[in-house]
Amino acid sequence: MIHIPDSSTLVSGPMAGSETRRQLILEAMVQVVGRKGYRETSVADVIEEADVSRTTFYKHFEDKHACFLAAYDLVVERVLGAVIANCDARQPWLERMRVGLATVVEMFALNPELARTAIVEVAAAGSDARQRHWDAITRFTEFLAEGEQLADGRELPGNIGLMAAGAVSGLIFDELLAGRAEHLPELLPDLLFAMLVPYIGPGAATAEMRRAAAS
Amino acid sequence: MTVADLTKEAGVSRTTFYELYEDKEACFLAAYDNAVEVLVRRVIAAYEAEQSWPKRAVAGLAALLEVLAEEPALARLSLVDIGNAGPLAQRRYRAAIQRLTPLFDEGRDYASGGRNLPANTSRMAIGGVTGLISDELVAGRAEQLPGLLSDVLFATLVPYIGPDAAAREVERLTR
Repeated sequence: MIHIPDSSTLVSGPMAGSETRRQLILEAMVQVVGRKGYRETSVADVIEEADVSRTTFYKHFEDKHACFLAAYDLVVERVLGAVIANCDARQPWLERMRVGLATVVEMFALNPELARTAIVEVAAAGSDARQRHWDAITRFTEFLAEGEQLADGRELPGNIGLMAAGAVSGLIFDELLAGRAEHLPELLPDLLFAMLVPYIGPGAATAEMRRAAAS
Repeated sequence: MTVADLTKEAGVSRTTFYELYEDKEACFLAAYDNAVEVLVRRVIAAYEAEQSWPKRAVAGLAALLEVLAEEPALARLSLVDIGNAGPLAQRRYRAAIQRLTPLFDEGRDYASGGRNLPANTSRMAIGGVTGLISDELVAGRAEQLPGLLSDVLFATLVPYIGPDAAAREVERLTR
């Protein structure tokens, strides 16, 4: 069973009132941007969604862009945190890859707005947002690094993790653009194939894909 | 960027601009379509000049990297800044990518067991290639893209034939 933290974990816990309001604003930003798109989103939309005053918003953030960047960081930490929480370090690499990918996909399916913000809309939020997106992808590729040990000393390209991540995020991007976030879990076998194939080849990756489809 | 910036750069009047385009966005989409058309045609021409995959893939990928290196502005527009241009442009981008799919999917006939590969295999290969290219572009290294040929070729071949055979083919074809 894969545990997916719901958005209520965002504002729970012993946080000060001001900090809670900041979190509410960030959560609202993720939802509104996912729904309307970054360009169409205004500070007015965000404060309405968060049910806070304009003064409160500007106490915490300089502008929409600064708030978006903070919200994006939060999304990355949340997705990465869920992946780490669900992956058991004692499990073999292939199993951890399947669980990690399933975590991301199910999280996105449960919260399509978060998914769109994380994968699609970030590209519309300027160069520093894009840099953050890219840094996040790099952090995810670190999970893949161990796969290079499966190569038995064969020489693999240094940026093989980026190929795997690019293949996976490309497929997810297409699904989100088509408005099919809820269907992402159905794509898990294909996504797993895409992620593993540079390391283990199509034969073994197909076997893993079938295993994922059966589970 | 404003319409004023565009009319100044082009040396035309504001009236001329609005005779041709409804707004900045419409002008952007037309420019984008035009640029993508040039890119896709050059890649396909290079691809078709070779007889068989994977040589065709090498030629197509080399042409792609060359065009993007020659036109860093187009490269950024197509791959990195497309998000800024809104959902219409994003759909156009996906449509342009679709046209390059055959370049990849001929790998299916080349690979033993290629028929059993997932239907999405060409999109995976494309995702791997665009991931590598975007990484260079985000880092501001458009002019170094041609140096990426071995890696994008590996990314193209690997879903079809696996890492061992892909590494051998890269060695053989890019030497």
